[in-house]
Amino acid sequence: MRPGRSLAIATFLAVSAAALWGQQFQFNLDHLKDKSSDHVEVSLNSSTLQFAARFMDGKDPDEAKVKKLIMGIEGIYIRSFEFKNTGAWSAADLDRVRTQLKAPEWSKIVGVKSNEDGENIEIWLRTEKGKVSGVAILASEPRELTVVNLVGNIDLESVADLGGHFGLPKIPTKK
Amino acid sequence: MDWLEEELTQALARQEPGAGFDARVRARLHRRPPQWLAVAAAILVTIGAGEAWQQYRGRVAKEQVMTAMRIAGSKLSRVQAQVKGSEQ
Repeated sequence: MRPGRSLAIATFLAVSAAALWGQQFQFNLDHLKDKSSDHVEVSLNSSTLQFAARFMDGKDPDEAKVKKLIMGIEGIYIRSFEFKNTGAWSAADLDRVRTQLKAPEWSKIVGVKSNEDGENIEIWLRTEKGKVSGVAILASEPRELTVVNLVGNIDLESVADLGGHFGLPKIPTKK
Repeated sequence: MDWLEEELTQALARQEPGAGFDARVRARLHRRPPQWLAVAAAILVTIGAGEAWQQYRGRVAKEQVMTAMRIAGSKLSRVQAQVKGSEQ
């Protein structure tokens, strides 16, 4: 292979990796595994998602919607922990994630806080050239912590279309 | 000796096997199935195992996607409920 071609391929890979790196953030939550009573870890890249889509039943309404939705998603990464006692996780755990969600790419579109049960949920969007390229959900309760990272050109209309399925809400989209 | 006894003695009398009987039995015992049959069986087993493994991986991946959507969906649903509650 010619050196020029190798350099071009290496540059392309580096740029692609850098772009994906920006969309996908680091959880840095592994230390909570031992403290948790239950934890869910999901790491699905694009090829695994497309592979999974082949096994989804188009006749099942839920699976059909999800199959359509994941066509535009490049990755799904989730860390969810449940604890027996309060105080197992700290605000610094979420801050380490939050600091990676930097403007102008990332912006918090909604944040809700319940004083009743101490629940706090933030939804962040990453946009590139006017298109959604990532979603982050930071959800915490005294005995629960969940961080969701959806990577890719996510069609919010498809997400909105999931309203009623798994309890997903309708999200208003701008065209 | 009556006729029955005579018949039985004749019927059960020791008979020597034909020439080469021993060699033929030994040869058949050591005969292996054709090599192509073993190769075909190995290929079929490999293909079957590969397909089963792919099916298993697919089902696991699908379950992970559905779990991920359930988690993300439940959080978004709670946000919607909170936002609706604050609007009312």
